[in-house]
Amino acid sequence: MSTERTPAATGAQAGGALAFERIFHRYATASGTIDVLDDVSFAVAPGEVACVVGPSGCGKSTLLSLAAGLLRPARGTVRWDGAEVKLGPNSHLGMAFQQPGLFPWLNVRRNVAIGLTTRGNAKRDALRIADEFLDTVGLADFKDAYPNQLSGGMAQRVGIARALALRPRLLLLDEPFAAVDAFTRIKLQQEFKSLLKLNRPTVLFVTHDVSEAILLGDVIVVMSQRPAGVVRIIPVEREDRNRASPAYARKLAEALACLGVTGDADGG
Amino acid sequence: MSAPIVRAASGGRFLRNRVLLPLVGVLIVACAWEATLLVYQLPVIVLPAPLSVVQTLGELVVTASFWHDVGISLYEFGAGYALGVVGGVAVGMLMGESRYFRMTATPVIEAFRFIVPFAWIPLTILWFGTSFTGKILLVAYAVFFVMVVSTARAVAQVEPTLTRVGTMLGMGSVALALNVHLRAAAPGIASGARAAAAIGWIAVVAAEYIGASAGLGVLITNAASSLATATVIAGMIVIGVVGAGVSEAIRWLSRAYLDYR
Repeated sequence: MSTERTPAATGAQAGGALAFERIFHRYATASGTIDVLDDVSFAVAPGEVACVVGPSGCGKSTLLSLAAGLLRPARGTVRWDGAEVKLGPNSHLGMAFQQPGLFPWLNVRRNVAIGLTTRGNAKRDALRIADEFLDTVGLADFKDAYPNQLSGGMAQRVGIARALALRPRLLLLDEPFAAVDAFTRIKLQQEFKSLLKLNRPTVLFVTHDVSEAILLGDVIVVMSQRPAGVVRIIPVEREDRNRASPAYARKLAEALACLGVTGDADGG
Repeated sequence: MSAPIVRAASGGRFLRNRVLLPLVGVLIVACAWEATLLVYQLPVIVLPAPLSVVQTLGELVVTASFWHDVGISLYEFGAGYALGVVGGVAVGMLMGESRYFRMTATPVIEAFRFIVPFAWIPLTILWFGTSFTGKILLVAYAVFFVMVVSTARAVAQVEPTLTRVGTMLGMGSVALALNVHLRAAAPGIASGARAAAAIGWIAVVAAEYIGASAGLGVLITNAASSLATATVIAGMIVIGVVGAGVSEAIRWLSRAYLDYR
């Protein structure tokens, strides 16, 4: 309950430090419990973009929920700026979910604006900011549409705009470009990089696409099969992002090797 | 493809679907009725002819006492319905939001839910006599349980992602309940409200049959005791028409609110 943290209204703040400390987590199912995270520890420096890659079902999304305070870890501590992340609404973060989760009774711009008004912005300002971010994700013509009128990729872009519009200090993204076609994805990835430069949030980005992780991440956190731990943290340098460079190929091979993928595509 | 678009497409189709075909349905019933009279040679006291019922209906609707009876029934229904919907949605929301409340309330609600409103009629007469209060409470009772169950179910079925999104956006539990869960459950609540209207309307008339000084049920029981069978049937038709009108009005209201679908 600290009062020093103002709502996202000011927007100009840089990100803070995110840390996972010895996290264990399990889910209860009908047939018993499933261990998902097994002793996960890593930290993301302020303003850094960390991309989490790993096999599907290894608990990448669980990590995001823990960082967002939507889940409490079975054991271990998640810290934001040194303080334990509390369960419930946290005003320092914005998150884009795998299922966009738009409110079907609100049109697109209200879907983006509602987080801003919830966090204390005036309605007029909220709608203006929503329009800005919808322009950015290329949905200027769909502001008055309702979610059931959007394609999957468009809905996902609204979800991204909604998270970005909060101008959060911590941005959590769960495969945000998964439902988007390849062309739009490349465009969005580039837009996304320039957007991050505006206020340098700390970013935790879950993806199954290793090349996307190299392109967008400052570090790549490679997770193992469930129950997942951190296999390796791979730093990404500027020259690694040039897809035509040998450095990119080496980085890709290194990350894939950590995931247990080796050799040629034909199985050699 | 929503209904308004279809309707806008063709006025002729509207005439056919909403006027002509329903009239054919009414005519078939009237013919079967007339045929029954011819075959069995029934006396007027047992079953009057359709046309004489229509004629009685025509005489009925120009009297002030008829509209007084309709007004009383609608008043009892409206007050009880509003009470039952508000109370039922509130309790249903609490059941959807709080596990403790749900665990506490479920056995009581499940038990009362199956004590149909009609079983309460003797007690309401004992407690409230033939006053409005008894009938209003009876309607509220009938409506309440339908609304509790449909609201709790609709809230339980809200997409979990929406809850996570609401929390992420900064909503606390009260804001989540009102701005996300109630709103997302609205279609389910609205269809519950339509079912509840039918049950509430039936409850009003049934209660009036047994103990009341005015209302459509009284109109019918009075007519029956003076063997005015045509008036009995005319009153029954009025009950059906008013009930259908109430249901349509509620559907129209809920559609205005839910047109995002």
